[in-house]
Amino acid sequence: MRSNKSDTARNLAKAHFANEPNLKHIHLLEPVNEDDPRDPIKLLEVVEGTLERGIEPIAFPANPGRGIDYPVLIIEVSPKEYEDIRNNVLTLKSHGWSMGSELSAG
Amino acid sequence: MPAKSDDWARAYAKQALSDLDARETLALAGADKCHRLHFLQMATEKVCKAHLTSRNGHENVRKTHGYIEKNLPIIARLFYSRVNSANQMAMWEIKHIEKIAREIELLAPACDDGGTRQDNTEYPWEGPRRDVQVPCAYSFPNIDDESRLIVRLIRLIRTASESYSA
Repeated sequence: MRSNKSDTARNLAKAHFANEPNLKHIHLLEPVNEDDPRDPIKLLEVVEGTLERGIEPIAFPANPGRGIDYPVLIIEVSPKEYEDIRNNVLTLKSHGWSMGSELSAG
Repeated sequence: MPAKSDDWARAYAKQALSDLDARETLALAGADKCHRLHFLQMATEKVCKAHLTSRNGHENVRKTHGYIEKNLPIIARLFYSRVNSANQMAMWEIKHIEKIAREIELLAPACDDGGTRQDNTEYPWEGPRRDVQVPCAYSFPNIDDESRLIVRLIRLIRTASESYSA
């Protein structure tokens, strides 16, 4: 049975925190369309020291063998870009997204 | 008027960006790993050619092979130093990029490590038990293209390619 996207996102966040020492925050981006398995999970990941490139999604395929039943988009931003998003200087709206819940390492 | 080396460098960089766009489309569509890796290898090769062409000239670069392992870490150092020369993350990342650069280079059929690495993303090859291995059914265990390192690598290639194509 498929896990839902929210649970999958939480598991991905744990794995990413475990492997990325400079990862500071992860947010699930909305909308999370549970009805369409082709619609990717979107994770905003804040990484200290990364190259600043604005909102640039990078795609990964579904991999049911690893418990990831949906494609995933990773949007990596710097702490400054993260602040810009929170202050509406940098917008997710051009992609039709908004900031969702923060996901934890634990 | 004949094309200058800068024209070639821009062209390689532009093609690298297009290769990455193709990888994105394939990844979202759930294409086999060989195809995702193929376009990642192509993009990496092109950005390294753009880098080398901008420095050494087109005539000195166009027929060279086996330059990813050496030049991708140089590109990483160059572009991360622009963010912050004392960046601890960059040093951590460059070490990982050094490791993956060699594996990416070996994905090309022309690079077989003296005959010891036949695995590649394009053509079937003879496996260790004299069986036929097919790229679309092979796991490419030496590269995890779903790891976060791939995010960093793609962002580096895009940053460098945009710089060389400007």
